[in-house]
Amino acid sequence: MSGEGFALELRGITKRFGATAALNDASLAVRSGSLHMLLGENGAGKTTFLNIATGNLQPDTGAILLNGQPVVWRHRADALAAGLSAVSQHFSLVPAMTVAENVALAGPRLGAKYNRREAEDTVRRIANNVGLDLDPAAMVGDLSVAAQQRAEIVKAIARNAPVLMLDEPTAVLSPPDAAELLLWLRGFVSSGRTVVVITHRIREAMGYGDEVTVLRRGQTALSAPISSTSEQEVVAAILGATDTGPLAFARQHSTAVRQTLGTSVLALHAASVIDAGGARRLRTTSLEVRGGEVVGVAGVEGAGQYQLLRLLAGRISPTSGRVTLPPSVGFVPEDRHRDALIADFSLVENMALRGIEARRGVMPWAHVALQVQSAITAFDVRGGDVRSTASALSGGNQQKFVLARELADAPQALVVENPTRGLDVRASQEILTRVRDSAAAGSAVVMYSSDINELLATADRVVVCFAGEVYETTLDSDAIGRAMVGVR
Amino acid sequence: MPTAVLDGFLEATVRSATPLAFAALGELVAERSGVMNIGLEGAIAAGALAAFLGAQIAGPEIGFVAGGVAGALVAAVFAFFVLALRSQQIIVGAAVSMLGIGLSASIHRAMVSAGASTAQVQTLASLPVPGLSTLPVVGDALFAQPISTYLLYFLFPLTGWVLYHTVFGVALRATGERPLAVVAAGHSAAKIQLAALIFGGVLAGLGGATLVVAQTGTFSDGMSAGRGFIAIAIVALGRWTPRGVVVGVLVFGAVSALQFLAQAMAWNVPYTLVLASPYVLTLAAMAIFRGSRTAPAALGQPLDGGL
Repeated sequence: MSGEGFALELRGITKRFGATAALNDASLAVRSGSLHMLLGENGAGKTTFLNIATGNLQPDTGAILLNGQPVVWRHRADALAAGLSAVSQHFSLVPAMTVAENVALAGPRLGAKYNRREAEDTVRRIANNVGLDLDPAAMVGDLSVAAQQRAEIVKAIARNAPVLMLDEPTAVLSPPDAAELLLWLRGFVSSGRTVVVITHRIREAMGYGDEVTVLRRGQTALSAPISSTSEQEVVAAILGATDTGPLAFARQHSTAVRQTLGTSVLALHAASVIDAGGARRLRTTSLEVRGGEVVGVAGVEGAGQYQLLRLLAGRISPTSGRVTLPPSVGFVPEDRHRDALIADFSLVENMALRGIEARRGVMPWAHVALQVQSAITAFDVRGGDVRSTASALSGGNQQKFVLARELADAPQALVVENPTRGLDVRASQEILTRVRDSAAAGSAVVMYSSDINELLATADRVVVCFAGEVYETTLDSDAIGRAMVGVR
Repeated sequence: MPTAVLDGFLEATVRSATPLAFAALGELVAERSGVMNIGLEGAIAAGALAAFLGAQIAGPEIGFVAGGVAGALVAAVFAFFVLALRSQQIIVGAAVSMLGIGLSASIHRAMVSAGASTAQVQTLASLPVPGLSTLPVVGDALFAQPISTYLLYFLFPLTGWVLYHTVFGVALRATGERPLAVVAAGHSAAKIQLAALIFGGVLAGLGGATLVVAQTGTFSDGMSAGRGFIAIAIVALGRWTPRGVVVGVLVFGAVSALQFLAQAMAWNVPYTLVLASPYVLTLAAMAIFRGSRTAPAALGQPLDGGL
């Protein structure tokens, strides 16, 4: 097969991190002058793909072809020199510098002179040429998210890069800003450049792209021109065949002992969240969670579930509106290593972290040690005793310990975020069963999971976050999957 | 105030400011690249000893250069631990500080007891600038100085020009703000920090060298006298800009020169209090100009692996 007509090709790429393969024989072929949309669930390997294409990561096997010619990137500078620019999900701009300085930073030669006026003229010229509105003298930190993104794009194309890759560029934008960007990208490719856009939003892909590639679990699940495929086909490729599997276990296990629903315990009243950067993360949302029920939350990354869960856990305050919280809420954040446990602390010390802000005076270590002992017994935490460090436990046992700690004072509500992340099937089952048990004991439970099947197995009802909006769907994997990508 | 006293005071101000200016300018560059090098004191001490030895062997000019080389070597030790081994900047800095002070004192003592060292070395000649040195009030203080002081008059604007008018300067400042952005642009953050640290080491070493070959003509244990730490404070007070640092070193130079004034005017204040004034000023200034938001955002943070 000749690479003619393709600006960028990734062939048979495999990349392993430890025991897991992020990419497994995945391929991508981007036609010159096209807007190519790369879709897939969280963890499907999209960002790894981008990192390999731009020289941030080396593939274990597979080839990269640029305009049909095989290339090897030793590091990022190689890919940049060859004209492959990327705008990453987390902007690589310096907030305390002007737009012009940030663009100059991307210059190939460090020895070059920096003339403020010339640099600003250059930025103005590029921005005008490609039709982007940008003030070169503005401090990046003062710009809106959308303007920062325009600065990133100008920086990326300042070297006249023929191929531009953007990782979820619309995730941080408001819908009008997102539409404006996509429209601009359409015009940009019509001038002969090639663009790859990673997105979660299927409507964007169908509405603005020329071609689409779908990654699922590190493999290419679909690759087709947008005109010859359909929304259904793309959704099916993203989600894969639904298998209920062993996850139904958790639901069967404890629905039998479920009580009738109690009163409203947790509630949002027209609450919204605007982050420090001014981006609206959660639109005006009302939600009520009653004692005894598990409300599942679904959503692709950055859709607002992060803020929703932290509002319900009392970790952040709404920008407007109100939140009703019970006296005690247990919270299990997604990243237990970063947010829930201190790896080098003993289990006793980790236990003491809950409610530490309200404690005064001498630490009642003996009492805390008893709490740990009963948590270990009640939740069957194996591999360590009271004095062990958290790092001595396996991931599954760490998570059981975190859950036990959050439930130690029998809170009226429990908020859990991807509680089975990184756990095997057995540990996942145990955790989900405990979550359901907590609801059965009368708690109001909110659970976010990136795995739809897990939600179906555990939740009584499901709400979906999409672009900061929250709405309820039926308990059906198709309906949830569609709602997650904005199809209602 | 008699003219002679004023002249003496201004001259003492510039003399006290010179070593601080070298060290603070070097530290300014290191900190703008994101590295807090509190090992400066060690580089100053090493620079002073190297200048002393170099001046004995080959005259004060070579001694001055030797001071810069010694400062670079001390900075290289710091850079090895911080950049290659990713050790904590503060801990390595403290260790390098003490190492530089201790090692230079030990070497000096060993050479004295072996009879291999003289007590005094020749100092750099004062080179009055024709015309400028006859200016009223500031003429002598600014323009009847040894070559080392004139070097500063070039280094400050040159450093400012590199920081703000070259792509390297933009990249260096960006490294201090957000190393990831520099790496994303295809440059090496570690190499930029290495360059900044070595530059800082050379300047700290030259600062130490001026204590010997431009001022006292001798070496004594502990002659760096906390100047490295004062230089670090000056960088913060100067808001991490060359201009601010110039103002800072002059203020500190003037306060140090109070000793001269106290003697000349026969002030009835305890001498120890006058000696302590630069350090008291450091604390006072830190209390007054607190909560600065202009510090480089990534100052003191180790680079992530792979940068």
